[in-house]
Amino acid sequence: MQDAGEPRIARARFLDPQLLAIGLAGGVLSGLLGVGGGIVMVPLLVIWAGYAQRDAHAMSLGAIVPISVAGVLTYGIAGQVRLPEAIALAVGAVGGARVGAGLLSRLGDRPLKLAFGSFLIAVAVLMAVRH
Amino acid sequence: MSSALLLAGFVAFGAVTGVAAGVLGVGGGVLMVPFLTLVTGMPQHAAEATSLLVVLPTAAVASLVLQRRGIGDLGVALRFGVVGAAGAAGGALLALALPGRSLRVVFAVFLALVGLRLVRDGLHTERP
Repeated sequence: MQDAGEPRIARARFLDPQLLAIGLAGGVLSGLLGVGGGIVMVPLLVIWAGYAQRDAHAMSLGAIVPISVAGVLTYGIAGQVRLPEAIALAVGAVGGARVGAGLLSRLGDRPLKLAFGSFLIAVAVLMAVRH
Repeated sequence: MSSALLLAGFVAFGAVTGVAAGVLGVGGGVLMVPFLTLVTGMPQHAAEATSLLVVLPTAAVASLVLQRRGIGDLGVALRFGVVGAAGAAGGALLALALPGRSLRVVFAVFLALVGLRLVRDGLHTERP
């Protein structure tokens, strides 16, 4: 388990195989389910790669940027993107993201772990119910 | 429902999703895809495509805010994200070819286990 006293800070290694595997896992899931992929990248960055919870959230968001570009292009070429709905959602989401990122920068690892863990359980229940 | 009200509903749902995405470090698609399919009746593939187009600016804006505050390392994140992009193109092509029902069950079980572990770790983390 990650020692809270000495969190792993991002190391600028170009080809860290662990990070590449995490990016790949997040990417495949993102394309497959239409999500960002953070739902697998955050836990892998914390539990496997040893990042502090807050750093993991920030790294996940950064990785989602190129990942979602590839997904949008692939689905876009297939003619599946609904532009009006996407624009309306994005107007709200971009404003919300500023607030959320501000909150993230002020919260400690304990509330973040509890929030993220509860979020995952809620999503799992939602998926089970939908199924 | 009038179209103005519908539009306001989309913007409001987007705002809630954006806050959650920024705090949790996710794109928010896990919330948006069910919203689009269950509430607005959008087909699954269109919902996934539309969700990804919202995820992109959401993650970009949150990343810029966090980079300015010195949290994480955006350079490293973008590098492994580019590798992830190859996976995303493959995953999207697979999704377009498959209905993928059983995958959802595996995914839900995976999330429940990881969620329980994080909650347990969070409860055991000492307060600063």
